[in-house]
Amino acid sequence: MATTLLEVQDLRTVFATKNGNVKAVDGVSFHLDAGETLGIVGESGCGKSVTAMSVIGLQRPGRIVGGRVLFMGRDLTKASETEMREIRGQEIAMIFQDPMTSLNPVFRTGWQVGEPLRLHRGVDGIRALAGAVAMLGKVGISSPAERAKSYPHQFSGGMRQRAMIAMGLTTTPKVLIADEPTTALDVTIQAQILDLLRQVNREFGTATILITHNLGVVAGMCERVMVMYAGKVVESGPTTDVFAHPKHPYTWSLLRSIPRLDAERHEALKPIEGLPPNLIDLPKGCAFHPRCPFKIEKCSRDTPVLNRVGATQLAACWVTQAGTELKGA
Amino acid sequence: MLAKFVVRRFLASIVVVLGVTLITLLLMDRTRGTYVPGIDLNPALRPEDIARLRTNLGLDQPFYMWYVTWIWNVAHGDFGRSMIDGSPVTSHILDRLPNTLELTGTAIVVGILLSIPLGVIGALRRGSKADHALTVVSVAGFAVPQFWMGLLLILIFSVTFQHYGLPWLPSSGATSPLNGGDLWDRIVHLIMPATVLAFFYLSVWSRFTRSSMLEVLSQDYIRTARAKGMSERRVVYLHGLRNALIPLITLVGLELPGLVSGGLVVEVVFGWPGIGRLAFERALQYDYSTVMGVTFFATLLVVAGNLLADVLYAILDPRIRYA
Amino acid sequence: MIDPGQAIATDLPAPAFEGDARRPAQSYWNESWERLRANRIGIVCGSLIVVLALIAIAAPLFTQFLTHVEPSQLDLDNTFKPPGGAHLLGTDELGRDTLTRLIYGGRVTLGVAFLTIALSLTLGTGVGLLAGYYGRWIDDLLMRFVDVVLAFPAIFLFILMAILFRPTPITLAAVIASVGWGGVARLVRGEVLSVKERDFILATRSIGARDVRLIVRHLLPNVLPVLIVAATLGVGQIILIEAALDFLGLGIQPPTASWGNMLTNSQSYFFHSTWLVYFPGITIFVTVLAANLFGNAVRDAFDPRLK
Repeated sequence: MATTLLEVQDLRTVFATKNGNVKAVDGVSFHLDAGETLGIVGESGCGKSVTAMSVIGLQRPGRIVGGRVLFMGRDLTKASETEMREIRGQEIAMIFQDPMTSLNPVFRTGWQVGEPLRLHRGVDGIRALAGAVAMLGKVGISSPAERAKSYPHQFSGGMRQRAMIAMGLTTTPKVLIADEPTTALDVTIQAQILDLLRQVNREFGTATILITHNLGVVAGMCERVMVMYAGKVVESGPTTDVFAHPKHPYTWSLLRSIPRLDAERHEALKPIEGLPPNLIDLPKGCAFHPRCPFKIEKCSRDTPVLNRVGATQLAACWVTQAGTELKGA
Repeated sequence: MLAKFVVRRFLASIVVVLGVTLITLLLMDRTRGTYVPGIDLNPALRPEDIARLRTNLGLDQPFYMWYVTWIWNVAHGDFGRSMIDGSPVTSHILDRLPNTLELTGTAIVVGILLSIPLGVIGALRRGSKADHALTVVSVAGFAVPQFWMGLLLILIFSVTFQHYGLPWLPSSGATSPLNGGDLWDRIVHLIMPATVLAFFYLSVWSRFTRSSMLEVLSQDYIRTARAKGMSERRVVYLHGLRNALIPLITLVGLELPGLVSGGLVVEVVFGWPGIGRLAFERALQYDYSTVMGVTFFATLLVVAGNLLADVLYAILDPRIRYA
Repeated sequence: MIDPGQAIATDLPAPAFEGDARRPAQSYWNESWERLRANRIGIVCGSLIVVLALIAIAAPLFTQFLTHVEPSQLDLDNTFKPPGGAHLLGTDELGRDTLTRLIYGGRVTLGVAFLTIALSLTLGTGVGLLAGYYGRWIDDLLMRFVDVVLAFPAIFLFILMAILFRPTPITLAAVIASVGWGGVARLVRGEVLSVKERDFILATRSIGARDVRLIVRHLLPNVLPVLIVAATLGVGQIILIEAALDFLGLGIQPPTASWGNMLTNSQSYFFHSTWLVYFPGITIFVTVLAANLFGNAVRDAFDPRLK
């Protein structure tokens, strides 16, 4: 029986700008069970990173204006800063996209990797370093004791990301959030890092949230996937089901736009028409309808709600909720 | 690789020094042609005496001979003799140099020690009243004439305070002639001139620290540090400040070659017995050779300081060695 | 055969963005001017400088209609008069009117400052352009020379030159400029080096343009923005240097009034006529402050590196 570690209910995060309020996260709900891997997919600006930052309370300068974030039963949106600091880096760890700029250039790598241990477990410097070295070894860095003494700029891109992962895992957190962990890396290194994340998930049982805009990464790694658009969840479900028969036109368009090796020669690519919406001034009704090839009249009037469509999937679309299958050239 | 770099920079410095000597002596050449030593003391000198004195001081030699002799002397630490009383310039320099260093050194240290907290406050409380106040003070500080600020301080803390019976600060000298010499006496004399100098460093450096800090705090590794669950204090002062100080050190380093000359105006206003004041006093007496010698000495220090800074940066940052 | 007209005509979807209004492209100068005009502090300070300059130029008018005295006019019956009455800002130890001396002093100080900038920019730009454009041994030679000039601690050099040459406003400007041009030369050379590599230079040379034409008509306009910024940021510092030299007695000599030399005898004013200490100093301060703030505004508007 899977225990639900994290449950996000109708989360709303807003950024105040001089042109108006940007609704970066506009009613997002999802859950994460122990040991599973959830992918969050969407284009730049859809709110996936802000959602993750909001979970651990680092959404500043944005503000959480609604919803709850239940972690092991506790509502994190109501927790004090001191309580949140206990959770960050210890229960929920987060690693980021660009390991070169995400590691402090003036401190040795081993010292940085061991810092969560010193912070949260009250461990002294020597033992923290030993723990760091051990973890560096586990993530596949050779001669970890030597490497721990080097500075981040002396590492290669892939090694740096491994060090970041090690840094997140030293306190054996229950949840690991990885925000675009492979985007800044070469394709060959990407595969290695994804392997590592899979291995970590298996060996340590850490529940993982993988945020990316790359559908291929999700296909290889995540059991469940959640698609976001304009600050809302538009579809979610088991990865194989969502990819095989998407229940939201956005997911459908995304999958269709991926260039295929087995396509006909001279076949035109099929991009998604139009531009992403202005988050300050969203279109009336469904945020995607201006670009949607399946839209009906209702789409420009009423905002769709996330509902069950098909056996295992949830989708926020009037068209598919009405029973229409998404098909087309 | 490092050795090659050092040698190259050293040779470049030598070239600069030679250029400096050339310009120095070309300027001096204007004066030695007509100068008659001792003429104010003894107007009744006979032409033969004058000729003999000029030969003694080497004033009638062709330029290149004089140039070579001069360089030879300098290489041996002899920076010339005064045209007024024949005293060796080197002894004046040695006398006064520690005083100048005391003044400018104190000012730099105070400047750094105050700039860092002010800059950090400005960055952390960006846009607040405190930040605006600091910005205004910085901008104003950069526009105030140093000598005027010195005069105002003397007016307030020496003259007016004394007038009202308040404990007042001495307005000139490094020590009091009567009970002079002890540490407290030196400190009391040092306060006002060092404040004037430090104020200018402060104006520039506090703004710089502020912008450096702001830039550092927007970096990704600060986000990582917060995600690790550490207190905001630790994020700012341990992870942030360490990075923000590096450019500041570079900036302070740029001031070091000017350590000797930067305080001249302040030295004159406060009667501080330093090298700058020496040059000024002698200039008023048209003692060209002393002024020349002191100028050349100060320039040598600048070139040496620049060379030292170049080498240090090359040690710290390997990429510079190949430039 | 494909009709070229047909193949080229592809319809791109029109942007759905409401906020995507088309703005006409503006030239660099227009854009910078607009930015400068939008900066209120900059405009206020710039106007102040212009007003001060106009007052300085129209000085005789002021003495004729406002103060009714000449700047060097002595009035030994009215020495050390406090501000008020016939002498709005008081008189000094020789009965000379402070306000009049401040107005005429502005002529000297501002005049020397602008002349210094003109000299410094001309020489520095010339050397920088040549060094940057021709490179190799010319560059080495010229930059080595600049190194030598920049090695001298400025204030010592000023003192030395002040006793070697008679300090008239023109020689004073030359002396101050003799140190400043080095920095300008380095700046210009740096800009030239980066501009030189751009394609339009190569293109212009390939159509046979001569060096002089290239330097003057193509390199120089691209270097101007940096020069403008450097000039406006430097005015304040030059005024301070000039005032300090005058104060030390190494610059403009009395009886010609300048803001700096009005403060030379300050120590003797402390006990009874402190206004003589305040007014010249405040004048210098306000002028330099306005110049600095205006310089900052110009830099924010014109500096290509900040775009």
